Amino acid sequence: MRVKFTVNGEERTADDVWEGESLLYVLRERLGLPGAKNACEQGECGSCTVYLDDTPVCACLVAAGQVQDREVRTVEGLGSEEELDPVQQAFIERGAVQCGFCTPGLIVAAHDLIRRNPCPKDAEIREALAGNLCRCTGYEKIIDAVHTAAAHSRGEATS
Amino acid sequence: MSEQGIGAALTRVEARDKVTGAARYTADVVLPGMAYAALVSSQVSAGRLRSLDVSAAKAAPGVLGVFSHLDRPTWHRVPAIPYFGETRMPFSDDRIHHAGQHIAIVVASTRQQAAHAAALVKAEYEAGKPVPTLEKALPSAYVAAQGNYVNFPQETVRGTPEEALAGSPVRVKAEYRTALISHAPIEPSVTTATWEGDELTLYDTSQAVVVHRGLVATAFGLPEDKVRLVCPLIGGAFGAKTHVWGHTLLVALAARRLGRPVQVVITRKQMFTTTGHQPPTVQRIEIGAERDGRLRVITHDSTNSTSFVAERPENTVLSSVATYAVPNLRTRVRLARMNFGTPTAMRTPGDGPGSFALECALDELAHELGADPVELRRRNHADVHPQSGKPWSGKNLLECYRIGAERFGWHRRDRRPGTRREGNDLIGYGMATARRVEHHRAAESTVDIRTDGGVVVRTATQDIGGGTLTTMIQVAADALGVAPDKVTITVGDTDLPPGAPTFGSITSGSNGSAVRLAAQDARGAAIRLAVGDKGSPLHGLAEDAVDVRDGRLFAKADPRRGETYAVLLTRNRVNPLRGNGKYSPAESQYETSTFGAHFTEVRIDRDLPRVRVVRHLAVIDCGIVLNTKTARNQAQGGIIGSIGVALMEELRQDPVSGRALAPALTDYHVPVNADIGQIDVHFVNKPDHNSNPLGAKGLGEICSIGVSAAVANAVFNATGRRIRDLPITPRRLL
Ligand code: FES
Ligand code: FES
Repeated sequence: MRVKFTVNGEERTADDVWEGESLLYVLRERLGLPGAKNACEQGECGSCTVYLDDTPVCACLVAAGQVQDREVRTVEGLGSEEELDPVQQAFIERGAVQCGFCTPGLIVAAHDLIRRNPCPKDAEIREALAGNLCRCTGYEKIIDAVHTAAAHSRGEATS
Repeated sequence: MSEQGIGAALTRVEARDKVTGAARYTADVVLPGMAYAALVSSQVSAGRLRSLDVSAAKAAPGVLGVFSHLDRPTWHRVPAIPYFGETRMPFSDDRIHHAGQHIAIVVASTRQQAAHAAALVKAEYEAGKPVPTLEKALPSAYVAAQGNYVNFPQETVRGTPEEALAGSPVRVKAEYRTALISHAPIEPSVTTATWEGDELTLYDTSQAVVVHRGLVATAFGLPEDKVRLVCPLIGGAFGAKTHVWGHTLLVALAARRLGRPVQVVITRKQMFTTTGHQPPTVQRIEIGAERDGRLRVITHDSTNSTSFVAERPENTVLSSVATYAVPNLRTRVRLARMNFGTPTAMRTPGDGPGSFALECALDELAHELGADPVELRRRNHADVHPQSGKPWSGKNLLECYRIGAERFGWHRRDRRPGTRREGNDLIGYGMATARRVEHHRAAESTVDIRTDGGVVVRTATQDIGGGTLTTMIQVAADALGVAPDKVTITVGDTDLPPGAPTFGSITSGSNGSAVRLAAQDARGAAIRLAVGDKGSPLHGLAEDAVDVRDGRLFAKADPRRGETYAVLLTRNRVNPLRGNGKYSPAESQYETSTFGAHFTEVRIDRDLPRVRVVRHLAVIDCGIVLNTKTARNQAQGGIIGSIGVALMEELRQDPVSGRALAPALTDYHVPVNADIGQIDVHFVNKPDHNSNPLGAKGLGEICSIGVSAAVANAVFNATGRRIRDLPITPRRLL
């Protein structure tokens, strides 16, 4: 089948898509967008998190056919060459990135959290990101980064 | 801290690429004409393949080839162990040694097609009777003969342990168990193989491209220089990518037969069953001591499981051999074979499970004596190496205890267990010592200074997430006297000078030393060039009268006199000026280790006894710290990983077949955001120049050793319950 949808603001089309293909597969293998990671391909880790319309989803669990005429935003579509998104910037500044394999998914999930809740508390951050596994960082710095990003998004300066 | 680089909290150089999705990992490398493989796994855990029907798979859409033992692959030789996963080459016969064993590889035009066709392979088994678990294997446990992986003494005796025990006024004796646990890195293992004639290039998630190249070359009977291994970035490993496992060879084999590049991404399930794990252990410890707490004797008897295709003892007993000053000792390690995949190094091999047993036993002794656990450890401090008697190259363990106890508020601990509470919470404090032998490896690097003032470091090590790219840049910048942002680095490719593996905490010390030597070589050559060059303001000066800062060479006596590397090299038309560094560890008069002390506070709800680590402090002595930011991050991660080992991680097995019951991240619980309290890390940060020229030692492992014991000891302090089996789940506390 043919699937047509918007990715990071651009109309894209994928041809010869199989019934069982996931959105993750289409993004990575057909559209050349390897930002979202294939870490388990069964909805366990959150490394493949992308926005589908306005909701973060595990792209490995979404059938490609479901995204017809809808809008997908991946980590590649947050921020720009000139200006990173505050979440991306905060992850760098706070040292929330180690091996980086969980990072694209975490950034989308954190981005969504801050949109919904501009001033999240520790417990809310932990809760919101509990579906995103990270085996390297131990999360402390990720939580710092979300606070920093939230402050930036609210227009506050942080130390 | 040096202003030029070492110790600075420099932000990781590849972080930007990682947050934008631009970073390319092994699975992101797409080669023209590349096909995709899927591996078929055995459903039974012992026996033989009676038949293997691949006809339906071969006829499935897009399929290019299916290979199995029926194709009789001719391996040249079994590569030298260690660092090759198993002694049996994949597909070499019809025998099954564990569930999940690769029995066929299917290659197709797309990944989906390969996965679909793999499901069509029909295997019939002549099922054997498996040895399912360590428990069932124990009766046939044996002491392995030296050789292969068995590269440390399986039995050690010091003094007269039996007599010492008999004469000890205080004795404690207990049995401890650690669980079968899995690395579970977020990035699965991936290999892409491509041949050009007789030359093989592998893009492989490898913690040691140089070592692995040699092993692959042996398997295919190729000279080493006909194999190139590339590993751009690794998405976590923790030991799972230390060895060459079957899939790497099988993909190379398929690519050769099909004459096109082939990629395999191991499934999450296969990560649990075919790329190693830390084997479960049963450890018996007996300690005899004087009433004042001085240790007279330790006996430590440890058994771990291994597979039927490799012997891999866990060096758990080294904790007892090398941590404390104890005159009498007896240790023994035994192996027990079970039908499960082959175990491998996992953060931290040997010392992880070993320190759990020893450090809990010491806590039991402290309780028995009514002594303070920190004081007990101080009293038994090993001023020299307790086995060899050699001096330490550097050791600041007493300082770790002092700083740790102070910062943590250890004096607030109540010795009587179960006495501190707050609301419904029981509160407990626990601590443990950490000690890890520092390993060294030969490593080489080049450092090029270019006419534009830029610097390029080239060395075939790899970054598995610990921050190696950044720290190596800092080392080069420091030694050259340039700003770190002038330096770039290329790693992860056997075409580069052979670097060190990124396992066993080797990278900072060994590879860092090679980079430093290369940078010093380049700096020295530049100074020589300047003082011998009539056109240079430094002409005629003695070499040691010149210093370099911020890329500018200048006369120490008159800093206004000088010029930059860029100007010097441009005028002399030298581009680049190359420095070579070769670090070869020498036989040393010292014993080198890293040390640390862990302090933990747990809280346990009395009705729902789930252990929460609300506070943890680690004080670590790993020589000079190359980058305080990446170091702290790495250490925190290691601590949290070990809190997982203490409280939740266990790959449970079916008691009959031995198969992993639920090899998935949903069932193999790793700590997530919601689980973690405050984790503090403090570094002693004193260089150990007796260890290597750089004075830096490994951090990746020492940060995680002793954590599980500190947690268990805190649980005892909180509840009065001594849990000797990991993980400490609510069920065990009920
Ligand atoms: S890859 Fe989608 S959740 Fe793990
Ligand atoms: S940084 Fe490695 S998994 Fe999160």
